[in-house]
Amino acid sequence: MVKRLLSALEYPQSDSVNINDEVTFRKIVAWVELNKINKASPNVKNGLKNINSGDWPNVYAKYKNEIGLPNLESSQEQLQWLLGYAVQAETHTNRDVYLKHAVEHLKVTNVPSVVTENPLDKLDFHSKDFADGISNVAKLLNVTPHPDPIITLNAVAKLVTTRLSPQAQANPNEVIVKGTPFPFQDADLGFDLHDPVLNQAAKVLRILYIHDLRELQTRANELVVAVQNVTANPKTDTKLGKVGK
Amino acid sequence: MVVRQYNQELEYLEKINSYCWRIKKGFQPNMNVEGVFYVNQTLEKLMLDELRNACRPGMVGGFLPGVKQIANVAALPGIVGKSVGLPDVHSGYGFAIGNMAAFDINDPQSIVSPGGVGFDINCGVRLLRTNLFEKDVLPVKEQLAQSLFDHIPVGVGSKGIIPMNAKDLEEALEMGMDWSLREGYIWAEDKEHCEEYGRMLNADPAKVSMRAKKRGLPQLGTLGAGNHYAEIQVVDEIFDKWAACKMGIEEKGQICVMIHSGSRGFGHQVATDALVQMEKAMKRDKIETNDRQLACARINSEEGQDYLKSMAAAANFAWVNRSSMTFLSRQAFAKQFNMAPDDLDMHVIYDVSHNIAKVEEHIVDGKPKTLLVHRKGSTRAFPPHHPLIPVDYQLTGQPVLIGGTMGTCSYVLTGTQQGMLETFGSTCHGAGRALSRAKSRRNLDYTDVLNKLEQMGISIRVASPKLVMEEAPESYKNVTDVVNTCHAAGISKKCIKLRPIAVIKG
Repeated sequence: MVKRLLSALEYPQSDSVNINDEVTFRKIVAWVELNKINKASPNVKNGLKNINSGDWPNVYAKYKNEIGLPNLESSQEQLQWLLGYAVQAETHTNRDVYLKHAVEHLKVTNVPSVVTENPLDKLDFHSKDFADGISNVAKLLNVTPHPDPIITLNAVAKLVTTRLSPQAQANPNEVIVKGTPFPFQDADLGFDLHDPVLNQAAKVLRILYIHDLRELQTRANELVVAVQNVTANPKTDTKLGKVGK
Repeated sequence: MVVRQYNQELEYLEKINSYCWRIKKGFQPNMNVEGVFYVNQTLEKLMLDELRNACRPGMVGGFLPGVKQIANVAALPGIVGKSVGLPDVHSGYGFAIGNMAAFDINDPQSIVSPGGVGFDINCGVRLLRTNLFEKDVLPVKEQLAQSLFDHIPVGVGSKGIIPMNAKDLEEALEMGMDWSLREGYIWAEDKEHCEEYGRMLNADPAKVSMRAKKRGLPQLGTLGAGNHYAEIQVVDEIFDKWAACKMGIEEKGQICVMIHSGSRGFGHQVATDALVQMEKAMKRDKIETNDRQLACARINSEEGQDYLKSMAAAANFAWVNRSSMTFLSRQAFAKQFNMAPDDLDMHVIYDVSHNIAKVEEHIVDGKPKTLLVHRKGSTRAFPPHHPLIPVDYQLTGQPVLIGGTMGTCSYVLTGTQQGMLETFGSTCHGAGRALSRAKSRRNLDYTDVLNKLEQMGISIRVASPKLVMEEAPESYKNVTDVVNTCHAAGISKKCIKLRPIAVIKG
């Protein structure tokens, strides 16, 4: 394991090191700190470099303290922790490089992988290309474009995820809301904005809000049912019953 | 208290319009706000006759007339807006039944009163729909009525068939309908279509006496006696097609099940315990009321808070109770028709509470205020778009279920904006008594009452037939008058009319 970590960190001759050798151990620690971790204070750093000094173990103890190395028994374990820490630091510094690689890799293999940063963030949302593209997609899907292409994109995304997903395509009845129409135009809005257009808009907002609320309530109900599957055990005992006078 | 002639009393009452009267300050001593009541011509007569009778010399004892009670409530500390009498108003303990009053939570003087909630805490009505029609049910009506009667224990001293121990009860008191859900007695959608989602969050079973718990435990899942019932009803008329459609009511003839029940002996004990505590608190805090029955405590006093917490537990009890009966009704129907309740589409349309006090936000004199709204024999009726009503009813307004009396029709109304402004989003709850229980027993014969129901084609199963005259339609105001008044006054809107074909009663 230590060898693999060393090779990942591109340590010279990582295949042939003998980690049980005290000198090699000191060399690796100094190398990892100087080239990868870079967190020690200047005197500790200098102390570590001096691998032949008799004071080295003391400096090393200070170093462990500085980077928060936990209390591990063998020097092997300590080395492994240190190398793991170095790999982490290395990944963090080169995040963008790996990410780019991951996106390319994703394109090729189409395997789900965890991407910590959205590659779309690098798109220029204000370019004409983007706006035109979105408006074309919207036209194709019969979505009324909004002057702000990002809002149009949101609408398009919503339509695609709810109505055009593979499940929805296979079973359109599941997603197409069926219900009895309600004359919401005649419904009481509850307030008056003294402008028919504004009132109409407020009504539409009300309806959308009620729709969201229904969704939330349905999910709450589903949760309750899921819990009931575990807890429910209704019982009756007719022997207990007694009709009164 | 001043004694006045009937004519002198009338000077304090003013008819604002054909459906609304004002009770001016001075009608009773120390009124902080005015009173108001909603009546049409017929109900107006009943209301004023009651007052006239009370003015006759030598009339003592019994409850005060409804109008006087509304005015006494207007004299309670911290009341805001007005003391409102709904069309079904009639005298009760302290507060009239059909009276709502709101108290400003941020006013340190404001009070909470168990009399303003009633003894049957969170008594309410639940309506289930089915996809069956009258023609499907008529041939098996008798069997279905019997099956319901076998599933839902009724009457005084009845015991439920859902096994529960003391620990279950504690949990149910705290969790309300969430308990029924967890145990699998009801569906997730039931909770959605219930006031407060079937759970008062401030419930604290620790504030409830052992005695109340002992009374309540065996009674969970029972209908009770008095005016409580379970009815199989038929959609008789649809006034608002779209609102009905949102409730899953498509056309006339559709079958529904209405359950009217409350918190049984549990709620009664909670109220009784609280009244004792409050009398002490009144003495200590020097709270003066016009009527001894209006026992109350400051909202932020220990007694006030304890009552609100135990009342919430009783409210949860009532919801679990109605939920258990929902479960049992679904079983009865499923057995009779050999179909799953899901396939019968037996969804809860709504569940209303009509004896409860709740914290709500209202606009008073143009300013938003947090109020403790007491509704006794009054139903919450929130308008369209109110955040506290289910999403399915956002466009129609909250469904308001008005249970009629045995053998008469019931109604579904919806809440309106006008009601929100005029009556703190409240409307009537039922027919409202016209004759006292004793008077009904003297004037009517139970065999006549039963025969009359039979002639109307209504199957009846009753635990104690000798008490049915108390609940006979003659003992009540006409529910149609009551509902029409609410509709005409604009405080709620007619949606559906239902008529019973089978009744289960205590």
